Amino acid sequence: MVKTFPLVRRGQNEVIAYLLKPIANFGLAAGKVDVNTFLSHVRAVAAALGEGKHAINMCDNRYLFLVSFCAVVLRRHINLLPATKNTFTQHQLNEAYADTYIIHDGVDIATPIPSIDLRKLTLNNAHDSSLGIPQIPNKHLACITFTSGSTGQSKPILKYWRTLHCSTAINYRYMIPKTDNTIFQLATMPAQHMWGLETSILMPLFENVCMSDVKPLFPQDIFDSLRSLPAPRLLVSTPIHLRAISVGSADDLSLHAVLCATSPLAPDLAQEIELKFAAPLLEVYGCSEVGSMAVRETARERNWLRFDDIHFEKDGEDTVVSAKHLPESTLLQDNIDIIDEQHFTLRGRTTDLVKIAGKRGSLFEINQVLLQFKGLVDGIVIYPNTNNAITRLCAIVALKPGYDKLTLRRFLREHLDSAFVPRPIHVVDTLPRESNGKLLKTRVEDLLKSLKK
Amino acid sequence: MTKQTDAELKMANLLVEALNLEDIEAHEIDPDEQLFGDGLGLDSIDALEISLAIAQDYGIQMKAEDEATRQAFATLKSLTAFVESNK
Repeated sequence: MVKTFPLVRRGQNEVIAYLLKPIANFGLAAGKVDVNTFLSHVRAVAAALGEGKHAINMCDNRYLFLVSFCAVVLRRHINLLPATKNTFTQHQLNEAYADTYIIHDGVDIATPIPSIDLRKLTLNNAHDSSLGIPQIPNKHLACITFTSGSTGQSKPILKYWRTLHCSTAINYRYMIPKTDNTIFQLATMPAQHMWGLETSILMPLFENVCMSDVKPLFPQDIFDSLRSLPAPRLLVSTPIHLRAISVGSADDLSLHAVLCATSPLAPDLAQEIELKFAAPLLEVYGCSEVGSMAVRETARERNWLRFDDIHFEKDGEDTVVSAKHLPESTLLQDNIDIIDEQHFTLRGRTTDLVKIAGKRGSLFEINQVLLQFKGLVDGIVIYPNTNNAITRLCAIVALKPGYDKLTLRRFLREHLDSAFVPRPIHVVDTLPRESNGKLLKTRVEDLLKSLKK
Repeated sequence: MTKQTDAELKMANLLVEALNLEDIEAHEIDPDEQLFGDGLGLDSIDALEISLAIAQDYGIQMKAEDEATRQAFATLKSLTAFVESNK
């Protein structure tokens, strides 16, 4: 017998989404959306999908993403979740995967890939609750996420239905402080990112959590959105957003909890956020391959608490992660020190890896992209040592006549995720290579210092 | 390039400082050049950084929901005008 798990593990009258903006063509006003209404939208969108196999899901509105993600699963198609929406990425996925189509709510489409614009579908809310909640086979490949944001040629990670619902049950247990009430959640990361997918899409599908449609960026938008949601409220975010809102005033806002992941959070920022929202802040450690795997109260703790369903195996410096619900084991990109049975500390990353704005990139791959630029004589992309809140990559290049910084930047923007487009780009006559052709780190750093204005 | 006004130069200094634009001087930013996309090539993290610096220096909270904010982020000129009119 085929083992299955429901598409939504919620009561049919429970609230799955809280819209801060109406979606007129779906017949939705701002406010609560129950599971029945949601399922009617899933069925309608599923019916509107053409024949195909791989859906590049580029929806920006989180509710439309939730609906289309489930519609694709219901049709037994596979969601492709790239980190970037540019046409180059679309082309690459179209070439790598058979029978591709795009679902979106307003992006530029690389012709000739078939696409569905959800803003142009007209649905009604007529739902038939007797249809019940669909069952999905555990073995169905629900989505493919991609590890490295640095180039399009990153490693695909296969997420089966079983992995998604098992990991969500674990995540809920470790991340959400106990309550019998439905939690109203605001997330600041895109749904396509693993951290956004786990918290803002999968939790509402399988646990007593209600998602919201927005993805606020500026502090005032984050505060306003939180105020618009019913209590108890949960903020899911990143160190970049939390640092931004730490300076704003929010005396009237108390939250059930704050979750933070994607890059290391400073303990003093964690303390500020806890005070501001009168709520515990849980920092979560994870990676795209495994998903979330450990948690700590950063305001008070240095050690990470590993989820007991996740297993670590040390092999010298390396750590291999496995779990019953994962199709394969994963070599961690971080060096960790085991403290005891269930606790560990992080000791930094392997040197090639850079992480900017929650996206992992390989310096090697980024440099390979630079080398493909036709106008390049010589050049290197480095991750400089800075005290800035957000460190950006930096490029030093020598260019052929007829090429300038602007044409190089345009090329890099087409081929790299925007987080990894080097800035500044310094144009020099030659790079300080040794006679054997090597470029020494110290000489590059000296050059960089002399170039700063 | 259009000549910068004093207010635009002040805003250009804020951009250079907030975003660590080491390869460009404040007076080199064309008031009419697109800040995002092709021109300076900024992204949403930069928009967040800029909004924080503007809140700090001018006491103005930016909101993405406002159409005015979206238009403000087009160029140095529009950003300066936005801040001047909201002071």
